[in-house]
Amino acid sequence: MAVRAVAAAPLLALWVTSAQQPAPPSVLYEQHIFAGGAAPPAGKLENPFQGDKKSAQEGEKLFAAFNCDGCHGGGAVGAVGPSLADGRWRYGGADGAMFHSIFYGRPRGMPAFGGILPPDAIWKLVTYLQSLQPATDAATVSWSK
Amino acid sequence: MGYVTSLIVMLGAAPAVQEDGQWTMPAKDYAASRYSGLTGINTANVKRLRAAWSFSTGVLAGHEGQPLVVNNTMYVVTPYPNVLYAFDLTEEGYPLKWKYRPYVNPAAIGIACCDVINRGAFYAQGKIVYNLLDGHTVAVDAATGKELWRTRVADVNQGESTPMAPLVVRDRVIVGTSGGEYGVRGWVKGLDLESGRIVWTAYNAGPDAEVLAGPETFKPFYDRGRDLARNSWPPDGWKHGGAPVWGWLSYDPALDLLYYGTGNPAPYNAEQRPGDNKWATSVLARRPGDGALIWAYQFTPADNWDYDSVQEMILADLAIKGRRRKVLVHFDKNGFAYTIDRATGEVLVAEPYVTVNWARRVSLATGRPELDSTKLTGASRGNVTDICPTLEGGKNQQPAAYSPQTGLFYVPTNNMCMDYQTAPVTYLAGTPYMGVSAPYKPGPGGHLGAFIAWDAARGKKLWEIREPYPVWSGALATAGGLVFYGTLDGWLKAADAKSGAVLWKFKVGSGVVGNPITFTGPDRRQYVAVYAGFGGDWFLLSGDVRSDDPADVRPPAGFMPDIARHTSLGGIIWLFAL
Repeated sequence: MAVRAVAAAPLLALWVTSAQQPAPPSVLYEQHIFAGGAAPPAGKLENPFQGDKKSAQEGEKLFAAFNCDGCHGGGAVGAVGPSLADGRWRYGGADGAMFHSIFYGRPRGMPAFGGILPPDAIWKLVTYLQSLQPATDAATVSWSK
Repeated sequence: MGYVTSLIVMLGAAPAVQEDGQWTMPAKDYAASRYSGLTGINTANVKRLRAAWSFSTGVLAGHEGQPLVVNNTMYVVTPYPNVLYAFDLTEEGYPLKWKYRPYVNPAAIGIACCDVINRGAFYAQGKIVYNLLDGHTVAVDAATGKELWRTRVADVNQGESTPMAPLVVRDRVIVGTSGGEYGVRGWVKGLDLESGRIVWTAYNAGPDAEVLAGPETFKPFYDRGRDLARNSWPPDGWKHGGAPVWGWLSYDPALDLLYYGTGNPAPYNAEQRPGDNKWATSVLARRPGDGALIWAYQFTPADNWDYDSVQEMILADLAIKGRRRKVLVHFDKNGFAYTIDRATGEVLVAEPYVTVNWARRVSLATGRPELDSTKLTGASRGNVTDICPTLEGGKNQQPAAYSPQTGLFYVPTNNMCMDYQTAPVTYLAGTPYMGVSAPYKPGPGGHLGAFIAWDAARGKKLWEIREPYPVWSGALATAGGLVFYGTLDGWLKAADAKSGAVLWKFKVGSGVVGNPITFTGPDRRQYVAVYAGFGGDWFLLSGDVRSDDPADVRPPAGFMPDIARHTSLGGIIWLFAL
């Protein structure tokens, strides 16, 4: 398990002071079936830091500082909360879906962090999670010799 | 039998003299013995034990706890969403009389540290009383399944959840909160059995007035002074200091004392909370009527290793150094087994029951452990290696049993060591307050668990049955000379209580983390019941043991890479009979 390298308090102070942001628009979920084949109108959120290594590193620090690893495990490999490192997404893995999961929370235990984290911090968390490389052969586990 | 009978008569708070063949409270009796006087299934015939019935609870999660059997009805509480089933044992196939499906806030899933388990219900005065995960205690009419009352006792927004099993004494329902990993301020509450009204609240840390430690009534054996539970913390540290109550409660009617253990102080980084952190990692003795604290003893002062002390306090009367003493026996996460005078809190025996290296011994004069300073942890100490036992403890929630027939305690144990690294953390309500990385490794011998027989008067292990995985099920002892326990890889086993020879086993379909019980059916036959439902801490830590969520695939756990070869999640109630 990765170890927290950062004291959370300074980061928390930084983010909380700038946390007055409007709520994001609703987004489409690519995993949903659209009744009648017609997608409802919705916005599209894009990660402004997509692929940026520095943002991913900052996101990793935030992942520890805001206690995400307490549920999802160091390295986000899963603990009491599901793995976020397997390339599979319960609520969608597109930018906007991941942002919504963190901002609004999810019903089966995921807290809503939108009240204490500004959008930039959430996007850095998304960037970190998107930087994790899932194992290519995760679908099969074999014990035969 | 003469010896056994006379011993039982001498026991003050002990296994019931009259065995009625029922199982009305979590640990069978107030002494938490998990001992049944039934002899129908015994060492001579247990080889013929066979599966008689099974039922899927419909829930895939750790099935800790145990059923109750009262008036030919078996009551089962599932993990979240905490359905209560009532099975009619008088009809073929044991169909349901009713089921009760309360609303339970799914947000509680996110503040349940270690799977969404429930440790069971208590029967009292025609009511089934139990806790919902989301901080409610409910009472349900045992005959009709109608909800009688529902009281909010805990606040999920503060990280409080309620998986523990209540204890009912007279008209008082005693409950406690979990949340040692979320920075709660631990408490127990006493509710009125008739109305559900909260009569008293007793915190485990803070000023005397809120700990209910009165100067006239509170007499700890080793400690002196006022406000010990406030002054042994940094200023305000006790406000988010953990000390939760998620284990088992017991009660001595003769002394009118309720006993329970408290969990870890928060956060894990001990440098954020200098001091002993009383009464985290402690046993507390209270009056059930008004909650008054009578005595307390701290097993692990200034806990550095997440050594919760919520494990059961089993009440027995033992001859210690030639003198008969009313004791409680406790197998702590910290690896020591304690035999304590239950009237005063004096430690009489404290010996390691698993491999221990964080302390050399426990001083009976001071009650304090003598530490190995190289095993102290804290953010400034970096990664401290090879600490035994792990933060899972020498034993965790899995309750032991005591047989007055043999005079021995039967203890499911873990055999693992760990590295431990903490980091500073910030308290954010409703999120984890931990800051630890602690990978496990097998303890000496390479096996990860063992089921042992323990002489608590002498502090000696008599025998052990080694298991490849941590033994996370509870124990059941019977007058048939048997002990029962389950394994993480899905076996239910029966062993000779004297020798430890395994006489029978059956693969139940999922890992066993619940506690076997036994009862007499309407047909006068003896039955053994157990849950099969892998989970609890091992839901988090076993790698890829789930098959219900295609969006959650995990690498194997390094210290037990093949557990998923032998089990996966489940939720089955089993009955066995000859």
